[in-house]
Amino acid sequence: MRALTIALAVSVACLTGGTLTSAQEGHPLKGSWLGTWGPAKTHPNDIVVVMDWDGKAITGMVNPGTDDAPIKNASLNPDGWLVHFEADVKDKSGTLNYVFDGKIENLSFNNRTIVGTWKNQRESGQLKMSRQ
Amino acid sequence: MKSGVAFAFALVAMLLLGTATGSAHHPISAKFDDTKPQTLSGVVTLVDWRNPHVHVYMNVRNNNDADNWAIELESPIDLQAAGWTKESVKAGDAITVTGISARNGSRQLWATKIVMSGTGKEVLHVTPPSPPALLANRPAPRWPDKQPRLGPSAGGAQGYWAFPSSTVLSEASVPMDQYGLLRNVADASKVAPMQPWALALYQYRQRRFLQDDPTYLNCKPPGGPRQFQLSVGVQFVEDRDRQRIFVLIGGGNNNYRIIYLDGRGHQGQVGGDDDNPLYYGRAVGKWEGDSLVVDTRGFNEDFWFTNGGLPHTEQLKLIERFTRENFDTLKYEVTVDDPGAYTRPWSGGWTLRWVTGQEMPRHLCQENRP
Repeated sequence: MRALTIALAVSVACLTGGTLTSAQEGHPLKGSWLGTWGPAKTHPNDIVVVMDWDGKAITGMVNPGTDDAPIKNASLNPDGWLVHFEADVKDKSGTLNYVFDGKIENLSFNNRTIVGTWKNQRESGQLKMSRQ
Repeated sequence: MKSGVAFAFALVAMLLLGTATGSAHHPISAKFDDTKPQTLSGVVTLVDWRNPHVHVYMNVRNNNDADNWAIELESPIDLQAAGWTKESVKAGDAITVTGISARNGSRQLWATKIVMSGTGKEVLHVTPPSPPALLANRPAPRWPDKQPRLGPSAGGAQGYWAFPSSTVLSEASVPMDQYGLLRNVADASKVAPMQPWALALYQYRQRRFLQDDPTYLNCKPPGGPRQFQLSVGVQFVEDRDRQRIFVLIGGGNNNYRIIYLDGRGHQGQVGGDDDNPLYYGRAVGKWEGDSLVVDTRGFNEDFWFTNGGLPHTEQLKLIERFTRENFDTLKYEVTVDDPGAYTRPWSGGWTLRWVTGQEMPRHLCQENRP
């Protein structure tokens, strides 16, 4: 029974691996990214970032909705697929300037990830987002 | 417990095999390493006669046990053209296979030679099909109004377009194989005027031997110039009453593309507008002399638009020019305008040959998918 459990777990992993081998598309940052950037005192644990590419600039939004923040100073360095972007988030105490730095991993996959860090004037932490 | 373990391993093996089969159609170099030749002898257990590639499974003795190997061959279309049938090799036959090994170390081999062990008879002789001989001085067939026909002539022999003179799109002459795999990745920047991110992505795809190609991995349609690069060919069906041309695409999944000639614009078309990008985009065309000029835009980003993995974005716009120079030759020219991925518009092209008297082969990528 234990062997069967292991086999099924491996099978699920194999199937997931198969799913991961999806097509690469256009600009690697374009799309919706969902992940975590906590725990932190200044924001919830979950993060959504929507990014677009117009041929010249990367634009987008952090946490689209009532508390959204446009991203600024975004860049992608293809040498290492390094990602940088910033966003100004307003809260009760004023404006927090968030700086995000990360790296694209699993570039070939539709659900590739950005793994890196974030920081603002008060705290810092880890960032991990997957493209949806 | 013992049977449980056996069942568990069988389940895992089945799933692994399914995964391997599911990613079968590919540039050969994406999966196999031509620097690793290998020869195997064993007994055939199964012949899987399906597109996009035929597989022969064989047991190869390994000490007191037997390993089952998957021997990959060309497509049924290519094998049949070379005189093969489903029965050329059968379960129970003892064979010796020479080929190249899988890059990932799995028990898979791309066969270049198969010999029947008992008789020494070589049974695999696949040579690349060659275009039919040119019949001299055959002018392009025309409609009564003198406009060139892109499809078969009225009441005449059937046929289709295949044998592209080039299967890659490049601004300059850069050494690469038929799948667009560069001989030297350092030449990547010569292929097209790519933006830095696009060049890096193109090099990344090249360094992975094109193994991420969505057309081969997931049967994504070969939109853009790629539809005219595939070996299975294309056919034009001119519906003059409805002022449109259907381009039937032999590769991929027998998809079709519509070129509208009724003067409509790119907005508000049935089947797609700017909010609904498509694999084949939205194509409108008009005749300029003897050339059909087609303006296509509204592509999605879910496919590779050429062999070799040149990137594109939704800003891609193609101007294609089709000229039937004579009965047997169709000149294809394309200008790529994609400010999302390239620094300026750039062009390429090739010719296609008319295959007289034959119907376009039936090739469905998804036949060999789980």
